[in-house]
Amino acid sequence: MSNERIDEILDGLYDHTIDGETEPVIALTNEGLELGMSPLSILFDGLIPALEEVGRLFEEGTFFVPEMLIAAQAMQGAMKILRPLIAETGAKPVGKFVMGTVKGDIHDIGKNLCNVMLEGAGFEVTDLGVNVAEQTFVDAVMEIKPDAVGMSAFLTTTMPMFIPTIEALKEAGLRDDVIVFVGGAPVTQEYCDHVGADGYAPNASVLVRLLKEKMGIT
Amino acid sequence: MNRRERYKKITSFQEADRVPVDLGSHVASIHTWTYDKIAKQNPEWDLKNTNLILDRMVQNSIPDDRLLDRLGVDFRWIAPHWIDVTDVEEGIYQDMWGIHWQYMLDAYSVHHSPLRTAKTAADIANHPWPDTDHPDLFTGLEERAKALYENTDYILVADSIKGGLLTKALQIRGYEFFFADMANNIPFAEALLDKLLDVYKEFWGNFLKRVGPYVETVYFTDDIGGQSSLMISPSTFRTLIKPRLASLIDHIKSCADVKFMYHTDGTITPVLDDIVEMGVDILNPIQTSAMNMDTAALKEQYHGKLCFHGAIDVQQMLPFSSPEEVRYDVAKRLYDLGRGGGYIFAPCHNIGSDVPVENVFAMYDAAKELGAYPLEKAAEVLRDEDKQGAQIFLEQAPKNAGKVVKRSRRPRSG
Repeated sequence: MSNERIDEILDGLYDHTIDGETEPVIALTNEGLELGMSPLSILFDGLIPALEEVGRLFEEGTFFVPEMLIAAQAMQGAMKILRPLIAETGAKPVGKFVMGTVKGDIHDIGKNLCNVMLEGAGFEVTDLGVNVAEQTFVDAVMEIKPDAVGMSAFLTTTMPMFIPTIEALKEAGLRDDVIVFVGGAPVTQEYCDHVGADGYAPNASVLVRLLKEKMGIT
Repeated sequence: MNRRERYKKITSFQEADRVPVDLGSHVASIHTWTYDKIAKQNPEWDLKNTNLILDRMVQNSIPDDRLLDRLGVDFRWIAPHWIDVTDVEEGIYQDMWGIHWQYMLDAYSVHHSPLRTAKTAADIANHPWPDTDHPDLFTGLEERAKALYENTDYILVADSIKGGLLTKALQIRGYEFFFADMANNIPFAEALLDKLLDVYKEFWGNFLKRVGPYVETVYFTDDIGGQSSLMISPSTFRTLIKPRLASLIDHIKSCADVKFMYHTDGTITPVLDDIVEMGVDILNPIQTSAMNMDTAALKEQYHGKLCFHGAIDVQQMLPFSSPEEVRYDVAKRLYDLGRGGGYIFAPCHNIGSDVPVENVFAMYDAAKELGAYPLEKAAEVLRDEDKQGAQIFLEQAPKNAGKVVKRSRRPRSG
């Protein structure tokens, strides 16, 4: 296996992922695997640095939702191939995250962008979907034992649902086992403090950064 | 000075007797629950319309004239009717675009987008588009507008059919699909936007044929802003949205002698110059809870170019403030935006089901108390630090914004 070609493949994965070009990302993933590259190297040396750069470009105001979305879709194309292979290696994810939009709210773009950016950072994400009841969050935390839970709300009328959801985690004795993040258009750091969550992120990229900080991952 | 004279002065950037006051568009009325509470707390007003919904999606009311007069509202809105609405199942309806909406808590959100599997321009053409000359769309509106025009001095505004170019494209195609189209399937995105532009042009032509002689202003809603930035890059806005909106505005102004009021929520400061260039006269709603939507800075940089309409925040301020805090915020917006004319007082969006009734009255009572020119009463309310003028400068996105990517190279391990 030529080292030069491996570097070309990783550079290609990086560039095409940032540009949101799914087809070359899939082709390079397959070529890398055929050449004997490890799925973890493709993920950690090619795709994850690409999504980190996408996050940086989003935060500096160069990328917007469309660019972030197609980059995430390109990465998802590769992940479909890599996920089962990585599972076979027994490699542990960077962390586990449970995500959902709270009860009474069916908005999901912000949540979905968070999911792909988390996955892009190596986390295993369980998406509970939209209109998620308190007990569903509790059940998922009990079963999956995630490092963190994310609750999303798009409306001022639905963000109060953070309170009973966090309360339900407390009652189940699970609150101290997970980092609770809240987010969504009307949510602020002040509101996060008010409902007793651990973290607030204004966008997907900041969420990844804060989560890693809170988990002590550099 | 009658209401229309006041409006004319204000929209020509001159001070009048007081700042005009508004409420009642399809995106800035009162949620039906809050309206019901107002009706029950004030039985002597005998408010009608508690069973009428102006906009089914947001579940707002058609406020009774007695309430509008009590609040000092200078406007009346001429709203097209909803047509071809069908109930799909319990809690889900289909609108005239074929979009399904699902009821949640107190309003509806997009549930199904009919063009989500569309691939070609032919798929777009074959979609059953609304009939923009459907007689039910405009039933009684010409008569109502004419009667209000001839018998009252209310300022009349032609309200929009729901959605705009970008908003409607996102809803009818599906948010994630159309966001992606704008980045990697541009011919398709352009074909859909062109079709929507045609539909809206036809709609406005047909609407203004009926109400054009009576209305002062036309209202068009299209959200391009998010909570802390534009939803799309300045470059995408300038290439895909701006030329089409400019073309729509030209068309509308060729149909009737009207001012154009453009609605977009969120942070939009990087493209304000573009918005002026498109031919927008009045910008609504100035979502002050979004990043950089600083009323002092907006006024300093855009007075004389854009009139402002709105600025009373319904996301953070009205639901979560005391009546005294509401009064203070009203004073701040009147002071920042009203001086020299160019400001119409209104809520940023619907007064939601979470807004206390006393705050609705605190808001409009404060406008009455503090909104007379030369606005010295508003100034008296404010602390010195809130009268120091703009503390930030709103920079326009450079011409190449969102295009040239200075990216880092892939980090090398070891």
